[in-house]
Amino acid sequence: MAARRRTQPLTNKTCKQMTDLVLDYLNDKLAPTTKRDFQRHLRICPDCVNFLNTYKKTVAVTGSVAIDEIPQTVRNNILTFLRKRIHRLGPIR
Amino acid sequence: MSPCRSITDHDYATVGLRAAAQLATVSALSNTTEPAMRKRNPAPHETDLVERLKAGDELALEAIFHLYSKRLYSVAHRILGTVADSEEVIQDVFWTAFRKAKSFQGTAQLSTWLYRLTVNAALGKLRRSKKDKEVDYEEYLPKFQEDGHHLVRPVVDWSDTLDEKYATREVQQLLAEALNQLKPVDKSIVVLSDLEGMSDKEIAVTLGLTVSAVKTRLHRARLFLRGKLAAQLGYSAT
Repeated sequence: MAARRRTQPLTNKTCKQMTDLVLDYLNDKLAPTTKRDFQRHLRICPDCVNFLNTYKKTVAVTGSVAIDEIPQTVRNNILTFLRKRIHRLGPIR
Repeated sequence: MSPCRSITDHDYATVGLRAAAQLATVSALSNTTEPAMRKRNPAPHETDLVERLKAGDELALEAIFHLYSKRLYSVAHRILGTVADSEEVIQDVFWTAFRKAKSFQGTAQLSTWLYRLTVNAALGKLRRSKKDKEVDYEEYLPKFQEDGHHLVRPVVDWSDTLDEKYATREVQQLLAEALNQLKPVDKSIVVLSDLEGMSDKEIAVTLGLTVSAVKTRLHRARLFLRGKLAAQLGYSAT
């Protein structure tokens, strides 16, 4: 194992490069070798693990924002508006 | 009923019955159609609706309204933040869809066209109202040393702290405030990606951007939001 470490660096990515790859990593869009490098870096860099966790948390919190339902009055207002405008417009040619 | 003449009160009584039956069908379809609408070819009934819309059939417009208004309103409201502005945008979108139906290309999906109309209308409104409210992202983006390490170490994992310290509603409020500080286009991209679940490619088509530009803007916007949340918790954005 020690010999392998000497011939093959544990990671050839810096934390800055890791940050630039996070979006593609989460979308599983990294090339296999880049993904391996990314995961290798995570194994030795707690800072990047923590960064990744907080990035994922941000995305999760953003996605959990409640859906804004269209109020019934708004639906009715819009439909009434459209019907009136269509009748005022007359036949479309 | 011919779509090419004025509609009388008598027509309305007839139309009401037809509309009720038709919309019941549309309503039943909408539950299964909406979530998957971006991942399929146009359904036969949708192609038919588009053709009828092009012929000026107001019932087709109403059917399309019932299919898509919920989702489009959600997008508009998430970008604009107010009911009144969102109503105005959705109103304009469906009026435009009716008047410009003939310009709709069959090669595009109806949902993509409607999303584009909605986002563009919302963006225009947001740009007119925003003016100088945007914040400089730089302060909230990660910083690095010359050798590529994080500038401030250790980087703290505050993902659990956020839930412990704030109720869900408070977190969403914090996030809403941060979202409002994004540039209008970036906010739209975050809404379409992280709230609506659209792919980078779909967002690029909707907004008329390259996929690369969408990814760059989405990543920077997320980093900014992350920085804002970190700062709120008293941690460094780096």
